[in-house]
Amino acid sequence: MDNNSRFKRYLKLDLLPTPWCPGCGNGIALKTICQAFDELDLPKPGTVVVSGIGCSGRSAGFFDLDSVHSVHGRAIPVAEGIKYANDALNVVVVSGDGDLLGIGGNHLLHAIRRNTNITVICYANEIYGMTGGQVSPTTPHNTKTLTTPQGNPDYPTDVQSLFKHRNCFFARTTAYHLNHMKKCFLEALKFKGFSFVEARTMCIVNYGRRLGYKNSNEMLLHYKEFYKINDNAEELAQNEIGILKSTPVS
Amino acid sequence: MPKQLLQGNEAIVMAAEVAGLKFFAGYPITPASEIIHELVNKKHIKALQMEDEIASINAIIGASLAGLKAMTATSGPGFSLMQESIGLAHMMEVPLVIVNVQRVGPSTGMPTLPAQGDVIQCIHGSHGDYFPIVFYPNSVSELYQYTVAAFNAAEESMSPVILLSDGYISHLYETIVPHRDFTIKPRSRPPLGTGNRHFTGLSHEDSVPQTSDADNYRRLITRFREKQQMTARRHNYYEYLECGKETDTLLISYGALSRAAYYFKNDFALYRPIRMFPVVEEIKSIAPRYKRLLMMEMNMGQYAHEIERILHRDIEFIPILGGRIDLKEIKQKIYGQ
Repeated sequence: MDNNSRFKRYLKLDLLPTPWCPGCGNGIALKTICQAFDELDLPKPGTVVVSGIGCSGRSAGFFDLDSVHSVHGRAIPVAEGIKYANDALNVVVVSGDGDLLGIGGNHLLHAIRRNTNITVICYANEIYGMTGGQVSPTTPHNTKTLTTPQGNPDYPTDVQSLFKHRNCFFARTTAYHLNHMKKCFLEALKFKGFSFVEARTMCIVNYGRRLGYKNSNEMLLHYKEFYKINDNAEELAQNEIGILKSTPVS
Repeated sequence: MPKQLLQGNEAIVMAAEVAGLKFFAGYPITPASEIIHELVNKKHIKALQMEDEIASINAIIGASLAGLKAMTATSGPGFSLMQESIGLAHMMEVPLVIVNVQRVGPSTGMPTLPAQGDVIQCIHGSHGDYFPIVFYPNSVSELYQYTVAAFNAAEESMSPVILLSDGYISHLYETIVPHRDFTIKPRSRPPLGTGNRHFTGLSHEDSVPQTSDADNYRRLITRFREKQQMTARRHNYYEYLECGKETDTLLISYGALSRAAYYFKNDFALYRPIRMFPVVEEIKSIAPRYKRLLMMEMNMGQYAHEIERILHRDIEFIPILGGRIDLKEIKQKIYGQ
């Protein structure tokens, strides 16, 4: 295997294709996670992936590692239980914004407080995709979804604000910015303590097409135009992706 | 081995330690909190207070998969919150022990008073079909004994085993001999992080999700049921006391309330299930010896319905509600005025 395809050793290739729709951003994130694993040469026996429920939740089963596909919203406590039971394991959570910030939001709050040494990668696609396209914790204000036909009356969760004044790692990235995404995953995986990456991924079938995007590529191009990289930020603006400067607890 | 004066909840902790408990996660709740109070002082057991019961059950699922014998303890409201993940533990075949120290419900109910209102929740609380093994002792020494049995049954069946108690038994102090003369089942599955297995709540076969294969699902559920029944047969716990004199009545009770039933042992035969589920088969051969089946429970007939269903006959039922066990009242209800 050449260097460019070495990441494949972390995947169960015989199970492909994934159940994701054509144009979905999850595959990009999945591949980039494996590239980050490969770059860090994470030991295959010794690394565990945990996921919750939703499109993103199906990621876990594709890793050629021991993995757990738990119930909706509970990937973080399962991962914490694994980490507390065996500190030598690298424990990575891969799940969605509905799972981690919606139904599982309470666990995120407390994992940050405990600063458990695990990495959480959140596919934030602004929608509940698997169930057809309902409003999610990251759906922007005024956006139309199946359950907000007049536009979302609420504002999206400001995830980074949970990390202020905590000695945890937070980064935001997108499926367009591939090198940046890998960098965020690498830094998160190397971080000693709780690390969280909000990875913007596109959902064309149950979200983008209703907003007028013709295809998934247009959504990627929107990421390209909208987001600016700011990798040493005190706070990320709405149109910024980057890594928050870790603020140690004083 | 010297005798020791122990509270019911303390006996659970001592027995869990003997059985090999290494990880505990829980959330404070009356009348189960003494269990976590005791466990946080144990050197070789990791005991965590989580943000809620949902986190607790999921953390012990993670820890159990990662190789440690794991337990949580709660009461009715917390047990209700855990139900979805109890289903997950059955689907993923995760050995766990879940202690439920029952109190009066529904909702917040009467937190300090005992009840037996979670009996059916034990077997039908989660969605779908699953076949839990449930024990319900009635004394401090039995809590000690059956806590160890619960850990063993969990390892044998690779499933969560429920140990029922109640606010009465768990807060009772009795002298017991905390012996260590048990056979302890070791963990049989390699821990997480050693292979490429996929544990999923989806219907599955050999680590691969099967979300539209009815035949596979039927095979899975059949195997689960057979496995649970096979394990249950090795843990066939019940108490049957024949009456010294001729009687046509069998008095059925369990848990805290069965202690009051002993008062009637000279008038009636007594039957007490200790393994609540799967229901002990012997009741089918014991019950036909009696014309009259009398049953009392601290609920509105949850187990009585189950026994009626299994025996295909009616039971005279006496509910003892609101956490009050008053012998005078029970006598009145049994003998009438």
